[in-house]
Amino acid sequence: MAEDLVLDTAIRDWVLIPLSVVMVLIGILRYFVSKLMRSFQVPDHKIVKEGQVIVRARNLRASANFIPPKSFRSRRVYFSNEENGLLFVPKGQAQNAQAQMFSDPNMAMDMMKKNLSMIIPQTLTFAWVNFFFSGFVAAKIPFPLTQRFRSMLQNGIDLSTVDVSYVSSRSWYFLNLFGLRGLFSLILGEENATDDTQRMMQMSGFGFDPSKSLGAEKDGLDIVQHEWALPKFEHRAEAVLKKIVS
Amino acid sequence: MVSKTEETQLNSLENQVDNGGGGAWEYLCLVRKLKVRRSDKVFKYGLSILNDPKKRSALGPEEWTLYEQVAIAALDCQCLDVTKDCIKVLQKKFPESKRVGRLNGMLLEAKGSWAEAEKAYSSLLEDNSLDQVIHKRRVAMAKAQGNISEAIELLNKYLEIFMADHDAWRELADIYVSLQMYKQAAFCYEELILSQPTVPLYHLAYADVLYTLGGLENLQTAKKYYASTIDLTGGKNTRAPFGICLCTSAIAQVSKGRNREDKESPELQSLAATALEKDYKQRAADKLGLLTSALRSMKF
Repeated sequence: MAEDLVLDTAIRDWVLIPLSVVMVLIGILRYFVSKLMRSFQVPDHKIVKEGQVIVRARNLRASANFIPPKSFRSRRVYFSNEENGLLFVPKGQAQNAQAQMFSDPNMAMDMMKKNLSMIIPQTLTFAWVNFFFSGFVAAKIPFPLTQRFRSMLQNGIDLSTVDVSYVSSRSWYFLNLFGLRGLFSLILGEENATDDTQRMMQMSGFGFDPSKSLGAEKDGLDIVQHEWALPKFEHRAEAVLKKIVS
Repeated sequence: MVSKTEETQLNSLENQVDNGGGGAWEYLCLVRKLKVRRSDKVFKYGLSILNDPKKRSALGPEEWTLYEQVAIAALDCQCLDVTKDCIKVLQKKFPESKRVGRLNGMLLEAKGSWAEAEKAYSSLLEDNSLDQVIHKRRVAMAKAQGNISEAIELLNKYLEIFMADHDAWRELADIYVSLQMYKQAAFCYEELILSQPTVPLYHLAYADVLYTLGGLENLQTAKKYYASTIDLTGGKNTRAPFGICLCTSAIAQVSKGRNREDKESPELQSLAATALEKDYKQRAADKLGLLTSALRSMKF
């Protein structure tokens, strides 16, 4: 149980290296295909305007202390006013955003295309790995693991006595999947379609982005207490001038 | 806006290129990055690179960016033929390009055919109504034709959508000041201060506008902003101490009858005056007499 299994070097030549090479090639292929399929998305008026409103509101919150109180108050009213304030989103509209996003044909097509380009190669490669490279020990992980990882890392190997550090090629596939991201950004430059994990994280945070952030900005703005910083500056200027004159 | 280190770097590169050392390409790249307007130099050196086929092929894909840069510089130097040639080359390479369309529009503008340029820009806007640069070109056109009210209207419409664009706010503030619409200009400067609170230029300009508007409250606010300018520039700015002296004497005049609140730094004016005298003694000693007489007339 604790003795070392000697793994054939042929495994390294015919399993590990070809698998990595294939994944790199598939990644490059996906990158070029996505470049070809990328359609120019006409930015929507409303979304651009909302983005800019948010930036402006954030600036207002951040530097509120630099402008006179009257101007700050008038700007705050302009933004969070009940009837036509820029940041005010009536409750009903907030729900619509997500529904709209799914019913908008262009956006739905775009999302589908992105999903497909991500899912299909992954599925195919996974099936290929399973078909060809299963049933044997592929590699040994250098650090010891607990028994809980056995089902995840060793599914081709049906011996329960083998140390969990010996893994099947499926785990090598997953390792490559997440690890080649760095390599791709070296080869292909920053924006490449192989950033699956990033995309997956983005998808879960999708949905109501615009109206929620507007509401958040409005709340932030309501909270801000205006404390005019300028009177302090007079004293500071005095100090500066004193230093210069002396 | 360009920081001081970047400006010194640019100037040193420029000197180097002027005096025959190499580095023209780095100079052009730096100009492009910093968006500085040095069209005559860009035109001279860019054209020399483009006319030399060996250097041109050494640039690779950057060649087209250089064509665009030289085309715009040529427009500024009124060498329209060079511009036409550059645009022809670019159009052959990128036939359906919006950037080339924009260059065409700028060429029409430079020739003075405003109506055609307007038509070209509107057709470009139809394809992509959110192209910021084209909107700004239309404003520039209106301003160049002398039609300031239309420029203001276009700029306002632009700012309704792109309200975080501080260059546009700056332009609007300039236009309002030129038309003496000081209250609106003050609003624009406030926007600028909000987005970039540590740039002393905006504080100074805002203080100027407030001082021009007049009225006790505005004068007091202006004084505070002159003080903040001094603070932000570490005392190196010369206009700000002048502003303080003027504000203090103006406040004194306006509030002659009522009792002045002396809690706000009474020393500020005398300190400012002394700092000014010291500065003038160092840098322009012959004008010191003018300064002292002016300051004396300001002191009540």
